[in-house]
Amino acid sequence: MVDKATEIKSVKVDGTPARGSFIQAVAAVVWKDLRAEFRSRELFSAMLVFSLLIILIFNFALELDVKTRRSVTAGVLWATFAFAGTLGLNRSMAIEKDRGCMDGLLLAPVDRSAIYFGKVISNLIFMLIVEVIVLPVYSALYAINLFQPGLILVILLGSIGYVSVGTLLSAMSVQTRTRDILLPILLFPVAIPVLLAAVKASNGFLTGAEWAEILLPLNLLIAYDVIFIAVAFMVFDHVVEE
Amino acid sequence: MQPKPVALKVLDLASIILLAISTYLALVFAPTERVMGDVQRVFYFHIGTAWTALLGFILAAVFSVIYLIRKDLKWDRFQVAAIEVSLVFFLITIVLGSIWARPAWNTWWTWDPRLTTAAITELIYAAYFMLRQGIDDPDKRASFGAIYALLGGLSAPLTFFAIRLFRTIHPVVIGGTNPEADGGFSMTADMRLAFFFALFAFTVIFIDLFWNRLRLGDLQDNVEQLKLKVSM
Amino acid sequence: MFFQETTPDTSGYMIAGYAITFIVMALYVASIYLRTRNLNQDKTTLEEMDKPDQPGQTNAPRQR
Repeated sequence: MVDKATEIKSVKVDGTPARGSFIQAVAAVVWKDLRAEFRSRELFSAMLVFSLLIILIFNFALELDVKTRRSVTAGVLWATFAFAGTLGLNRSMAIEKDRGCMDGLLLAPVDRSAIYFGKVISNLIFMLIVEVIVLPVYSALYAINLFQPGLILVILLGSIGYVSVGTLLSAMSVQTRTRDILLPILLFPVAIPVLLAAVKASNGFLTGAEWAEILLPLNLLIAYDVIFIAVAFMVFDHVVEE
Repeated sequence: MQPKPVALKVLDLASIILLAISTYLALVFAPTERVMGDVQRVFYFHIGTAWTALLGFILAAVFSVIYLIRKDLKWDRFQVAAIEVSLVFFLITIVLGSIWARPAWNTWWTWDPRLTTAAITELIYAAYFMLRQGIDDPDKRASFGAIYALLGGLSAPLTFFAIRLFRTIHPVVIGGTNPEADGGFSMTADMRLAFFFALFAFTVIFIDLFWNRLRLGDLQDNVEQLKLKVSM
Repeated sequence: MFFQETTPDTSGYMIAGYAITFIVMALYVASIYLRTRNLNQDKTTLEEMDKPDQPGQTNAPRQR
């Protein structure tokens, strides 16, 4: 991972104003994650296969006949995204830690929150790519049209909230002794409000509920996203300090 | 071995006496509730433990913020003490509620907003201790603990708010039975006395346990430092 | 209506509830006590290990 260090350095060397350099630093973190992933594809393929397997397991576990399908689709989708997301979050931080990239990132003269937002965005991109593939597969397998603009908006908002807490917690959990098992235990109970609002809103769109009924969970989802991002942004410095 | 301060000894004794009086008031003094019978007496301790546990969780979130600003390990020990005692008290709250629910609602458990949030809160703080166990460096352990307690203290009310909002908007989910109305009762003067006394008694007991746990934390810190000194 | 008047006997649940409350609290107090005792033992051993090392590296036990 030599290229990453040089990239960060190049961001700093050209001496752009502070605001621009912050965005550039975020972009550099995202870019190095995407490039590394594009080369190995280990994270993405694991998340994708895992989420397809979860859908299969739900098929056996719930006997998804036409009638129950309608009512449980939102729950199955979000459970799938949550599990696959944990896998990705864990791996993406563990890579940083194992290859010593985290130390390199921390040595780089950029704001710590730039690292946080960079990781959030790259994790979000991975999660969204997986979701973009899972949605048509699910639609085809269970003959439900999931391509509704409202549902996609909910999935985007829910993923943002989930990833923003998840990135913070995975940065913590990789620094512990029990790191492989700790992330879901830490993340799930804290992320429940986001998942709850997301499931409710998705369910509203899938069952064709009235707009007023969907608006409440949607607003809650946006509020939770803002709250979690704000808190994570404020405390991230304490997670990575040495 | 540091001797216990006199004030703490007095508090220990006071807690035991208060617990005894509160038990007497709840079991003997207060009249039997007519519809539910004796099981209603569980309510006094249920509220007493619930109130102190919630107070402890809120205090823990406050200690988190103070620790993250000051970086003084003293606040970390305050936080651990508050969360541990609250976790025990909240477990009692949940078990008592469940025991009461069996005859009153005819089920051990229902996914009502309060019960659900209580279960999730208990899990959050159990996870908190698992997180702490995996970290050796005291400063890092304190920082991570403070962050997680802060997130947990924020997330639990959000969960409660969300479930409550959804369930009241969709009455179908509750299935027609509103648990809050089912099992409610009006307190007589004697019941009210037992109720407020239980609140007071458990507050004192909480402070006493908190103090004892705090001393244990100081001792742990001492031993950890001694270990470092010896190993060097 | 007649059934409403008679108070059901739910004292079994009540006893179970109070028993569990006291058991849990007793266990917690015991755990604090035991942890304190063990730590105090650790502390005394550690202090003994710490002391002889103080004056130089002599292994002579308790000069002063």
